[in-house]
Amino acid sequence: MGAEWPLNANTKAVGITIRDLEVVYSTGQGQVPAVNGVDLDIAGGQITGIIGESGSGKSTLAMAIMNAVPHPGRIVKGSVVVDGVGNMLTLDKESQRRARGRNLGFVFQAAQNSLNPLTRVGHQVLDLGRSHNVRDLRGLLRRAKELLHRMGMDADRVLTAYQHELSGGMRQRVGIMFALVLDAQVVILDEPTTALDMLSQASVLEIVRSIHEERNITTILITHDMGVVADLADRVVVMYGGELAEEGETAEVLAHPAHPYTKGLIRAIPRISGDLSQAVALSGSPPDLKTFMQSGCLFYDRCPERVAECQVKRPPYESAGPERKVACFRVMPHD
Amino acid sequence: MIEVRSLEKTFPGKHGLLGHDAVKAVQDVSFRIPDGGAVSFIGESGCGKTTIGRILAGLENYTAGEVLIDGQNLATVDRRQREAVLRRVQLIQQDPYQALNPARTIEQALSDPLKVMAKARGADTAWILERMEEVLGLVGLEPQTVVHKYPHMLSGGQRQRIVIARALTVEPSVLVADEAVSMIDVSLRLGVLKLLRDLREKFHISLIFITHDVASARYVGEDGQMFVIYKGMIAEQGPTDDVILHPQHPYTQALLSAVPVLKGLESPGSDRYIPLKELDHGQSPENACLFAPRCPFAQPLCETERPALQGASGHQYACHYPQERHVVAVALKE
Repeated sequence: MGAEWPLNANTKAVGITIRDLEVVYSTGQGQVPAVNGVDLDIAGGQITGIIGESGSGKSTLAMAIMNAVPHPGRIVKGSVVVDGVGNMLTLDKESQRRARGRNLGFVFQAAQNSLNPLTRVGHQVLDLGRSHNVRDLRGLLRRAKELLHRMGMDADRVLTAYQHELSGGMRQRVGIMFALVLDAQVVILDEPTTALDMLSQASVLEIVRSIHEERNITTILITHDMGVVADLADRVVVMYGGELAEEGETAEVLAHPAHPYTKGLIRAIPRISGDLSQAVALSGSPPDLKTFMQSGCLFYDRCPERVAECQVKRPPYESAGPERKVACFRVMPHD
Repeated sequence: MIEVRSLEKTFPGKHGLLGHDAVKAVQDVSFRIPDGGAVSFIGESGCGKTTIGRILAGLENYTAGEVLIDGQNLATVDRRQREAVLRRVQLIQQDPYQALNPARTIEQALSDPLKVMAKARGADTAWILERMEEVLGLVGLEPQTVVHKYPHMLSGGQRQRIVIARALTVEPSVLVADEAVSMIDVSLRLGVLKLLRDLREKFHISLIFITHDVASARYVGEDGQMFVIYKGMIAEQGPTDDVILHPQHPYTQALLSAVPVLKGLESPGSDRYIPLKELDHGQSPENACLFAPRCPFAQPLCETERPALQGASGHQYACHYPQERHVVAVALKE
């Protein structure tokens, strides 16, 4: 692979096709399916929001897309085909490594902790460049500067800073810069705003939105905050207990949620206008080890709309209208 | 009732290698909370809102001003009384994962403060158990299922409920909730917020709610007062819904703009704006508006004169050019 990256302004955006993906964690109590038979098409050029509570498997899914599930997790079966790269799960190690960074950029959950505390940010940019055989390191630094400046930061100061000299919001931006500096066409953001206050969150989201539009990239946003997805994403994918519960176009899902879990998540958002009594807390606890073992619907324990059938059979994940899929026995086909 | 007048807190500077000057964390903050009332402090990380909460909970001294809790001045009461006064103010901290000792069961965590209470009123062990069940019931947990558990066996939301239950054991009249829900999954936050709201209504416990999230501040204290804090000073204050629906200060408007807009249900307010620049923690010039460096509407006057709070007594704002802007999302008609 050459050292000069192509400017992908006019190239076709990269899509990802996930088929029958299964990731298990080996624990003392046996094998826990963190991601269980997931089929998902991530459309190129769109922002896809994957939402779920703690333990829903959303972060594991993100790591599986990169084929970088940490021990003791293991990808058991399935395929993750990235356009122009191939199946991440069968590529040889070196091509995988090259794809991560150059094709797939990843912004970690705790960007605060993903930087090396002992070297300056600028040196880490150079390290990244060397490990990806970039010949024009000066150009790489220039691009890093452009990106940082683009995100409203004093680029020279940031590049010469150590991570502890940067605030949470600034580190998150530096994380985004690292994901984009090699011109990745797919950017995966894992809980990019969780540790940030509202204002930093809003500006980080604004940055993601504008860079996404400018560069025609594919963005995957992983979060537990329905508000973040509702604001930013083109498509929503709702995950529960390692499986997909619902997906569809954002405005459509927000306005007409079909799965009882999705409805609950939307109702649980406190709002700044309108009637407060409309906000209702979601009952029960997020899925735990026991949840994965039950044969019926994973959401059965917490579901206000459950029927007898739900306890014995797991609902299939089926099409429920254009661009819409739902796993629930209670959902009637759209009229 | 709590009354705070011209509160000020200055942290001494670190002279030496970095040569920082003293940091003014809180400047000229005054407010009062009636029994059963609610006050929320909103602002970014580092704006000084946590310091205010810690001062009220007695964990931090203040440099100047007066803090009166039920008429007693914190600076002048003797040590005995101070303890009794401060027991009535309980702090609920941000991180329920660190607030509980991982090696002790919930029963042990709750029985310590209850033993102190029992001793004070000459009650026996039966009273302790009874009271324990009562507070756990109040926070919406099943006593039998949680008392023998360790903190790691509970979810974030359940842990925060335990922390609240522990605060309730000493029968406080004021709860100071400092970012009490920000570490909890969004799906479970509302449950904890509802609990705080119910405690206010049922037991007349006043609530001081410190947060960066305007929406949750509104949920627990719709009928209360809201204080928008910027760099230790009040930028805007007033009845909660008034501040949210008719914000006058550009900083309040930025915070309101930052609330995510739900596609398909809402459309963004016509004047929504989000400042890309981060809060700088450096010293601000004495005679300039604190928010001027980030304010998109700043004029030359803002650089040379610090605005004082102005406006009708109910709703005040520290801005030279106050103007209402429509930044809150509007619900779409079905």
